[in-house]
Amino acid sequence: MKGKEKMGHIVRNPALCYGCKNCQLVCSLHLTGSFWPERSSIQVSRNPQTGVVRWTIDQSCDRCRQEEEPLCVRHCSYQALRNITDDNQEEPQDE
Amino acid sequence: MNSGERIKGALAGKILRVDLTTERIWTEATEPYATRTLGGRGTNSLVMLNEIEVETKWDDPANLLCFGVGTLVGTAAPGACRTDISTINVFSGGKGSANVGGSWGAELKYAGFDNIIIRGKAQRPVYLWIQDDRVEIRDAGGLWGRKISETENLLRQELGDELIEIAAIGPAGENRVRGSAIMIDTAKAAGGSGVGCVMGDKKLKAIVVRGHGKIDVFDRPGFMAAVAKANRQCEENREKVLSMRQSGAARFENLDFEGWETCMVIRNGQDDFWERGKRDQLMNPETGVASMRRKVRACVSCPTGCMPYMEKARGKFGEMKGEGFWINAVWSIARFDISDPETAVAFWLTCNELGLDTDYAAAGLAWVFECFERGLIDRNDTDGLELTWGNGEALLAMMHKLVYREGIGDLLADGMVEAAKKIGRGAEYYLTQIKGQPSIEPFRIPKGWALGVCTSPVAGRHLRGATRGPVHSGPPNVDFDITHSRNQAQSVVWQCKTKELEDNLGICNYVGTWSGAHFLKPANFAELVRTAMGLSVTEEELMEHYAVLGRNLEKAFNALHTNLSREDDLPPERFRREAVRKGPYQGATADVEEFNALLDEFYELSGWDMRTGLQTRAGLEKIGLPEVAEKLGAKCLDKKQK
Repeated sequence: MKGKEKMGHIVRNPALCYGCKNCQLVCSLHLTGSFWPERSSIQVSRNPQTGVVRWTIDQSCDRCRQEEEPLCVRHCSYQALRNITDDNQEEPQDE
Repeated sequence: MNSGERIKGALAGKILRVDLTTERIWTEATEPYATRTLGGRGTNSLVMLNEIEVETKWDDPANLLCFGVGTLVGTAAPGACRTDISTINVFSGGKGSANVGGSWGAELKYAGFDNIIIRGKAQRPVYLWIQDDRVEIRDAGGLWGRKISETENLLRQELGDELIEIAAIGPAGENRVRGSAIMIDTAKAAGGSGVGCVMGDKKLKAIVVRGHGKIDVFDRPGFMAAVAKANRQCEENREKVLSMRQSGAARFENLDFEGWETCMVIRNGQDDFWERGKRDQLMNPETGVASMRRKVRACVSCPTGCMPYMEKARGKFGEMKGEGFWINAVWSIARFDISDPETAVAFWLTCNELGLDTDYAAAGLAWVFECFERGLIDRNDTDGLELTWGNGEALLAMMHKLVYREGIGDLLADGMVEAAKKIGRGAEYYLTQIKGQPSIEPFRIPKGWALGVCTSPVAGRHLRGATRGPVHSGPPNVDFDITHSRNQAQSVVWQCKTKELEDNLGICNYVGTWSGAHFLKPANFAELVRTAMGLSVTEEELMEHYAVLGRNLEKAFNALHTNLSREDDLPPERFRREAVRKGPYQGATADVEEFNALLDEFYELSGWDMRTGLQTRAGLEKIGLPEVAEKLGAKCLDKKQK
């Protein structure tokens, strides 16, 4: 439960998310040193037949400790991700 | 650039080779190819030039169907999502190539492959199932005849994995309709050159991929700094980003957008001007196409996102939903003088489901409509359909006839040029085609656009050098106007080069140097190549070596495999003879003298002989292709002629 050690979590606003998977990629880079989507805390899948983007984050997320800001938040071009802390509580939404 | 320098990152590492005749599957290393070409399309071009014998036809088992994922795909490089699909062009007999985004290419790299080279023909319908190192040729009997989304659903059921990525053909490709696409992620089409027709001819229904592996870059911090810098460039161009996020076609919602005046072709080329009322009916933000746009989606690693998801619950065509509607849809539908937005969306989504290239359907069938108008065919030929301008129902019915080879569709499916010969009585004059490939492009008003389309080595199509002004697609610091010739040739050459790099690296042209965004520039490509691949290249070396090399490989393939000449680089005769009838550019033609002057300049800047368009020995040796000069023999000149 590394994410909770830092008392916070990452949430996605589905209305802003385009499903580009960049968060998944940079997360894997942080965790493994490689672009390795299978080993990312974030999993994104897109269904082109329905337009729905599924986005999940698991407990391996450490909110990029040692970084100023979690990489997924920093590299989201759509401002769809937020780093929620004790001062900034918000419930995650789903599509 | 150090000669012989090795690539140290970004590649998956292997090329997958499949012979569908013998069912043999093997691999080889990617690096020897990518070191020369950078990868992607360049590697496909090199393989084709090396391995396809002269006289090989597109439907011979010896034809290769080559999938080349751009080298930066699979990383977080902005817009790195593209795959090139190359094969013998079913229209020209020369180089064929189509380029597509989505997530399939990235998945292939995570499975360990940069390219797939397919030869031979299966005896029965098959699909290729790639799961990391495990590659199988599987029976596709139950998939044959299925439309694209049905095919994908059945494959997900059969393989029990929701995360597979699929490249498939629809009924169009199966029935060897010449203008067939290969569809990726349901709705992204590799449309040009008849690549889906070749896949159908090989009886290959789909290539299904699931990869669990990784991609490493050479200098991780340096690479992420280059990525962040490129993304900042996007942010600085915020207005443009937001416009693209409404979909690429959204700029046409502004009825004063200059593209309405400079880039339209109406009623199969009878005019290049479309009345404002029709523009409004099609693209009105409240009642037009936008009223069916529910959301927009992005390809993998894309900072802009431009794929609209369209939906209409109870419309005149029943329930419609799916991804799609690009700018080409506006051009396609205007060609029939159709301004009904539901018909426009239905046209696009139907093409996707059938695996039919939209440009081919639009250019080919608009010509059939004009043949009907001129009495060259009649209701006896169309099974009673009235092919009158604006008749959307007739268009959709003709698309089905074409794809399923019903009635006149059987004649049209074997190629519009061949059909025109059979119809005769002057029908050929009205068919807009470049090197045999039906074309929706404008030739009279935008000069650089026409030059790029006409000189494209893959038989037309605008994403091979076409320009529309310096803001849209030109080099920096070069002043040129869309409708005048000045500086167009050098701008087209620049755009040819940047597109070559983009297709080799897998960067989307929209995120790169086309469409006015210019989020990534050649300097960004150089930074990304240095940090991801570990090659010590400069921007100039990319532009003057790798980009030039790729274009010359395709040019050489055409020289070896076809008799295409300078004459084939001219705009279609109709656009030279008939002027624009109405609007601000009334009277404009594709003036042949003006165009020939552009061609002279274009060949000169490309290092080719002006009179014949052929390459020279010195030019090829300069970019490290002496063996290509040897191979070309008499089709390579010792020096340029006077």
